[in-house]
Parts: sequence; C-alpha cells; structure tokens
Amino acid sequence: MATSVLIVDDHPSFRASARMLLECEGYDVVGEAADGESALTEAARLSPDVVLLDVGLPGLDGFEVTNRLAANGGGPAVVLTSSRECCDYGSMADCSGARGFITKGELSGETLGALLA
Amino acid sequence: MTSLRRALWLLAFVGVVGGAVPMALAIGSDHLDNRALNVVFGPLIGWAFIGTGLFAWWRRPENRFGALMTAVGFTWCIAGLSVADEPGLFIAGLLLGALPYGFLVHMLLAFPRGVLEGRLATVVVSAGYFVTTIMQFTWALVYDTTREECGCPPNPLLAWDNQGVADFLYTAQSILAIVVIAGLIVALYRRWRGMSRVQRRGLTPVIFTGLVLAVDLAITLAADLSGVSGAAEEVIDIVGLSLLASVPFAFLAGLLSSRVSRAGAVGGLVTRLADAPRRGELRDALAEALDDDSLMLAYWLPDTASYVDARGHPVRIPAPGSGRGVSHVERDGRRVATIVYDASVAEDDPGLVDAIGSATALALENERLDAELCARVEELRGSRMRLMEVGMAERRGLERNLHDGAQQRLVSLALTLRAARTRLGGSEDGAGELLDRAELELELAISELRELARGIHPAVLSDRGLPAALESLAARSPVPVEVGVLPAERLPEPVELAAYYVISEALANVVKYAGATHATVDVARSNGDVLVEVGDDGVGGADPARGTGLRGLQDRVRALEGRLAVVSESGQGTRVKARIPCG
Repeated sequence: MATSVLIVDDHPSFRASARMLLECEGYDVVGEAADGESALTEAARLSPDVVLLDVGLPGLDGFEVTNRLAANGGGPAVVLTSSRECCDYGSMADCSGARGFITKGELSGETLGALLA
Repeated sequence: MTSLRRALWLLAFVGVVGGAVPMALAIGSDHLDNRALNVVFGPLIGWAFIGTGLFAWWRRPENRFGALMTAVGFTWCIAGLSVADEPGLFIAGLLLGALPYGFLVHMLLAFPRGVLEGRLATVVVSAGYFVTTIMQFTWALVYDTTREECGCPPNPLLAWDNQGVADFLYTAQSILAIVVIAGLIVALYRRWRGMSRVQRRGLTPVIFTGLVLAVDLAITLAADLSGVSGAAEEVIDIVGLSLLASVPFAFLAGLLSSRVSRAGAVGGLVTRLADAPRRGELRDALAEALDDDSLMLAYWLPDTASYVDARGHPVRIPAPGSGRGVSHVERDGRRVATIVYDASVAEDDPGLVDAIGSATALALENERLDAELCARVEELRGSRMRLMEVGMAERRGLERNLHDGAQQRLVSLALTLRAARTRLGGSEDGAGELLDRAELELELAISELRELARGIHPAVLSDRGLPAALESLAARSPVPVEVGVLPAERLPEPVELAAYYVISEALANVVKYAGATHATVDVARSNGDVLVEVGDDGVGGADPARGTGLRGLQDRVRALEGRLAVVSESGQGTRVKARIPCG
C-alpha cells in the first residue's frame, strides 16, 4: 500500500510540483495545506503516514507544527523541508522531533523514502 | 521732565518739610520724656522711608511698592505731630500713630511686584489696617490723654472718659497686632519656600524687616508688661527706633548691592570671555553673571529655523507666561542666540539680560557656529543611521523576494524535471541523459541563488536571532568554530546585524588567511554595549588597513557609534573585537 503524504507549504507551485513528483514515484498525496493551522487540521482529519512540512510557514512555523503533531503522540512522521539548507537552522531541525530534513531542490521519492526507512 | 517726575519732586519737598515740622514741634514740646530721641529719630525714619520710597517709585512707576514705602514715611511724619502741644495737631498725630505699621505690613507683603498674592496676605494686610486705624480711632474716643503724667494736651475727641474700656481696647489692639505680625511671618515664610534662589536673594531685605518688626513688637510688649521705666525704657526705645530706621536702608542696600554685584559680574564675564571659552563654558559664565543656574542658551539655526544647544541637540524656547524670561541676541541684524532665564532675574532691571546678550554677542556667534557644526554632525549621524536602516530593509525585502519568487520557481522546475525523468524511465534516445544534465545545472543554479540570498541578508538571523544564525555560520565553516555563551535576549536589529556581519567576515578571513585549526566566537553585554570577539589560533599578522572587508565592517560598526579593533601579532593568532552601543 502506497505511503500517504500531506504536503504543507505556502507556495502553491511547490505543492503542485511536489505532488506530481511524489505521485509519479508511487506515493499517495492525500492532501495539501498552506499554513500551520490548517496543517494541524488536515493531519488530524486525513491521518497521513507522512507530513512533508515547510519550515517557513506564515503564522505557526514548521518547528511549532512539528512540536504540536508530536505532542499528541503516535502522529504522522514529519519531514521538514525548506529552500534554505538544514544548517541555516542550526540545531533546530535536529531537535524538533522531525524524522528528517530535505532541502526542497533535493526532494524525490528516493530521498523521502531514505528518511522514512 | 515728566509729570511723574515733577510729582515725585513735589512729594520729596513736602516730605522734607513734613519731617522738619515734627522735629520743630519736638524741640518745643512740653510733654516729651526724651526730646533728643524724638528730634533725631522722628524725621530720620520719615525721611528714610520717603526718600527710599520715592526712589523706588521713580525706578518702577507701575509698581505700587514705592508708593507704599513713601506712605509709611509720610504717615510716620504725621504721627510725629503727637508731640505737639496744640490739641488738634496732638490728636491728629495720635490717631495716625499706628498707621505707618499698617502700611509697612502692606509694603512687605506686596514686595516686589506691588500687589498682594494669596488670601493669607490679603487677610493679614486687612487686619493690619483694622488694628492701626479703626481700633486706634476707637481707642482715641475713650482715652483721656490728660490722665497720664506726661502733661499731654487734652483729647478733643474724647467722647466717653472710661479708663477701664480704654485699657481693654489697648490690650485688644496689642494682641491683634501680635496676631498680624505672626501672620506676616507665616506669609513671608510661605513665599520664601516657593521661590527660586534668585528670588530669595531679592527677598532678603523683606525678611530682615519682618524680623525687625517682630523684634520691635516683642521688645515694646515686654517693656509694657514688665513696666520698665527710666534708662531701661530709653534703651529699649533707642533699639526699637534704630531697627525701624534701618529698614529703608536695608531695602536700599539690597538694591544697590545687587546692582553692584551684577555690574562686577558683567565685568568678570567680559574678562572671562577673553580667554576663549570652551564649549558649554559660555553658558556657565552667563549663568554666573546673572546668578541664575537655570539659564539656558539656545542657538539659532537659520537653515532649519530651529534652536539647538551647544552640543547641537534641539531645544525648545518656553512659551510666554511660563515664568521664564527670553532675550534674543542679534548681531549685524541676524539672530544669533536666545537667552532663556529665570524671569525674576530681570525684575529689577528689565534691560539687564539684553545688555549682557549684546556684550557677549561675538562669543555667542562663535559658539553658535560650533553648535551649528555639532547639529550638522548629529544630522549626518542620523541620516547615516537612517540610510543603513533603509539599506537593511531593502536587503531584507530582496532576500524575501528571491526566496519567495525565483527560488521557488526554480525548485518547482527541478521537481517537475525530476518527475519527467521518472516518467520517461530508461529511454534509449539520450533524453534521460539530457534531463539529468538539466537537473544538475538547475541544482547548481538553486544552490548559487541560495548563497546569493544568504549574502544579501541572513534570514535566519531575522527569523531566529543571533544564536541560531551563529550556529548556522559555525556549521558551514570549514574551520571548527566554538561559539561561547550568547546574550539570552534579542538585541536591537541593527546591532544584531552588525555583530553578525563582524563575526561572519572575521570567520571568512579565518578560513581564507589564518591557517587556523580552531576559532572562537563570543558575544557579551557589558554596560549597555555589546562586545563581540572572534579569535583564532592561526598565523596572525593581519593588517586591518588591507582589504575592503574589515574597512566595511569598521564603517558598519562606526555607524552605530561602535569601535572595531584587530589584534594580530605575527604567530599569535588574530582577535577581532567590536564594541557596539546597544541603545
């Protein structure tokens, strides 16, 4: 059964291209969200296996959303993403409780699968 | 000669004659215990008050103070008629015998403006007039002047000969007089408390006179109660009259001494200005000359039509009615400066501050030029700061645009290419290879764009503060960097950015030139400043004068009034230190 993914990003062009790529590579993109609040709502409603979560969201940022998803226990695996590099966030990405971090330009089914393995 | 001046000369003439009449009457009086005392003090006290009062009246015609002082003198002279043997003149003197004290109380409480201020002053003065007129007249109606052993003429106003009532009225009058003097002291004390130092100095003769009155009254009452007579009574009379005679001279001396000291101070001021005063000294010199610590100098800037102090900081001129005096100083028809002073300084001599301003116009013009320069430097400093802030905002906006625009589109393109590559699978016409190459080029473009955006503005600094930004810098540095304890709270944005750039540039230099194996970064707060230090264990010998990187940092730090120093002995590593004021 395909891994279900919720894509959270405030840029529609990224959401569209990420959906296309991941679906091409066998993932089941079950939903999209454009900000932190709706990410939490959609995650609760859709119960995806993975949330592909942009760090720089308006309002609640990616780190805060990760904390809240993790706080409920047994939530989805969170993979943070950003057009900036992981090291731009210092140790925050490591400490956030996310499964991993993928720079947006390097997103593929393979890199995502490697983090989920 | 003005009509006022003529009137005052006429009053002076009348005063001279008025003082001489009681003196003549005293010489020929049949009922005087101490003729010499009356002959000397009678006219002396009258003339002293009349002369001083007329002088004050002439100097300040709009002020009723001079008229009140003159009234004290004239009523004193009329009171002197009580030495006459003729009953009509005698009783006239007796009726007005206490009135000079009524005028004296009024005069003291009206000083220096000539009007009564406050309810207490009005009540005290009214009570004073009641005691010295109505009570005195009532007493005269029941007092049989022939009963005393003085041989006084008969009282033509005697309506009811009753010694008991007369004694009662006399006692009541004395008690009320004590109350009036006490009220006078309280009113004077209240005024003293509410006055500036300059005003207090001017009030000295009034305080002196108030005390004289109190002492005089105390002595007289003590003498009455103890029933002293003979030589002791004479001594008491001499002391009381001498004190009273000194009152107008106290006023005159106060007036003259203040004028003399001011004249001396103006002379000293001119001498002091010859030594080319340093910035701010001119204000101190003027403040000293006018004995007004609150004095302020405001220099006029014609370009901006505004005032600044000696350091070029903007100042406001107080509005009329604020209790502050304002004197504009001009030179060659152009405004130079404005002197703001305690209005009471010029109460006595309204032209004094203008005169001092004119005498110091050249020095004021010199300091005005200095102040103008300071104001321009201040303005430049402000505009440099504003330019820097505008630059920061623009760079922040540019980075944000790159991040949200081109970067996102290139990322989407890369993902689309990757999807296309996946769909194409393993084709044999070389299309897959072309897509791989395109993808690689795109990754490089995204990476370069990311570096460019980061160089334009470190977004992580704005978003997450200095600790995260320094951690990021350290993580990207090829040379191991140890970041020390950092300030827990966020710093003001320009300071944070300057500290970041100092560290970023210094670490870049460590990588490029130092040959170091290790670098350290420390940021601490100290006495309102932020201290930044980047050290390494490299070869040292760095020259801050070479290269534009450190010079650019110098400019950035100086724009915030900070200082940057590089310590780099050959073979002993390099330490870049910056001290940036934190607002």
